[in-house]
Amino acid sequence: MDALEILNFLHHEAHLLDAGKFNAWLELLTDDIRYRVPVRVTREREHGPGIIDHMSHYEEDRYSLEMRIKRLETEAAWAEDPPSRTRHFVTNVRVEPIDDRHVRVYSNLLLFRSRGDSPNFDLLSAERVDVLRRTDGGWKLAAREVVLDVSTVPTHNLAILF
Amino acid sequence: MTIYAQSRSGGEGTHLLEEARRQLAVGELPGAIYHDPEIFELEMEKIFARAWVYLAHESEIPNAGDYVVRYIGRDSFILIRDENGNVRAHFNMCRHRGMQVCRSEMGNASHFRCPYHGWTYRNDGTLVGVPAGKEAYGDRLNKEAWGLIPIPRLDQYNGMIFGSLDPKAPSLDEWLGDMKWYLDLFTRRSAAGLEVIGAPHRWMIDADWKLGADNFVGDAYHTLMTHRSMVELGLAPRDPQFAMYGEHVHIPGKGHGLGMIGAPPNIPLPPFWGYPEEIVRSLKENYPSEAHVRVAEKLNFVHGTVFPNLSILNVMIGRDHVHPPTPMLTFRLWHPIAPGKMEVWSWFLVEKDAPEWFKEQSRLTYLRTFGTSGVFEQDDAEMWRGITRAAGGEMARRNRMNYQMGMDHLAPDPNWPGPGVAYPLDYAEANQRNFYALWLEMLEA
Repeated sequence: MDALEILNFLHHEAHLLDAGKFNAWLELLTDDIRYRVPVRVTREREHGPGIIDHMSHYEEDRYSLEMRIKRLETEAAWAEDPPSRTRHFVTNVRVEPIDDRHVRVYSNLLLFRSRGDSPNFDLLSAERVDVLRRTDGGWKLAAREVVLDVSTVPTHNLAILF
Repeated sequence: MTIYAQSRSGGEGTHLLEEARRQLAVGELPGAIYHDPEIFELEMEKIFARAWVYLAHESEIPNAGDYVVRYIGRDSFILIRDENGNVRAHFNMCRHRGMQVCRSEMGNASHFRCPYHGWTYRNDGTLVGVPAGKEAYGDRLNKEAWGLIPIPRLDQYNGMIFGSLDPKAPSLDEWLGDMKWYLDLFTRRSAAGLEVIGAPHRWMIDADWKLGADNFVGDAYHTLMTHRSMVELGLAPRDPQFAMYGEHVHIPGKGHGLGMIGAPPNIPLPPFWGYPEEIVRSLKENYPSEAHVRVAEKLNFVHGTVFPNLSILNVMIGRDHVHPPTPMLTFRLWHPIAPGKMEVWSWFLVEKDAPEWFKEQSRLTYLRTFGTSGVFEQDDAEMWRGITRAAGGEMARRNRMNYQMGMDHLAPDPNWPGPGVAYPLDYAEANQRNFYALWLEMLEA
């Protein structure tokens, strides 16, 4: 397992998202991709991180992610046209082997978003837990769970990907 | 200096209301009502402190001790099922020094102990423990008089729990009035009732709460432009006339309203929103009247608002561009936070006794189309934000918003079997005018 390859994968992926190259981003996903951002609630410490099992901000497969990207290609995706300016800051990367073909990759994400000429911006902080698969075409993202560090989401929509 | 003081005092808000009163009579409203600090304060005091406001669905707190923390305006309440099975709502503020006695959003508790000085309340609100009661209070504190303050009014309709801060508010029954007939369409499809899955989506929009309520009460018109991307992907109706095959219904004097759209005559959409046969069989047994069955049979898209800030959407829609449409139901609250700022609470609900495969498909349909990341709702948020930003300036006071759609040329539908005032198409703004008529009446009262 080459940790540098994994790091490069994550940085390349972040670049594609921030540059709006969403079709190229789709190419990094396996056909059986599972992409989930669960809803969180505030609970006492004894109840753990407050992750809601049955409701998510995102719960996607290949079809639904393609639908979201196709939407952005229409001339009427008002929520992201004009586009947000985003920056995916990917840090604290840890890689764990799973089997010959798979690794689990933990990373911290700080996602900056600004829109229009407003000087205000939104920040979303999260931990991502990914499963990457080694394929003939290089590493691909097979699963991602994004655990947001908020209960109430502080941005007006999640028209952006983590 | 005096001139400036005068132009801003005496209540710009009040002036705006007078202007709104004059304009609404001719189907117009001043643009500034969406972003005005004085209007917002008046709304808190005159509407949110008096109206019946939606708090929760009973399925969110099924067992003794289950609670959720919910809001009316700026006040927080612990909504809890006590040990006797009664639903109660306690004002979330300790009687001693005012600390929040509950700081989590949901859970199960037999007691709440205030973290400041340790006053402890049973989940029915009774104060049962005061540290050093003997030493500090000489056993003279009358604990019975210092329980958590109950919400002034609490009631429910078909599992929908509402509260009001006004002890003199009319009954919930009266508040909902003829809207109950329409709520039955969503809430009485099965004897088992609805259940909330998971927890609500909660997110912030720099937009006025009324824009959400206004959109859902009667606005099918925006679908083709705001949601044009989804029309292009085949998730929204392609026919620009789709809302002509609908009904535009409002409850006069109550502010409530809804739009109910069916399939165009030449498009073979399935009856009853395309619900699976188990639910269709069940709704035929459980609907309170034959008219409900007749109305529901034709429906595919239904949107509505219960005044002031609860909206309902029950639509048949695709979960992506590949799969066939599935019906889904969402309740949502446009919770006012500050002038030009709201928090959206959005719940997904489904019949408790629906087949598991259907619950799952319906849930995925909901969260990909509405809610925080929904491909429909994300464009709505962009509109409401843009309006609110434009409404914050001086010119917005002069810009009259047009609410005249259908104002002079529509006649009520004599054949509509439900209550309220109905028009035989869903391209109209009678519902919006009815919504703002009560809004204005309450603000001026």
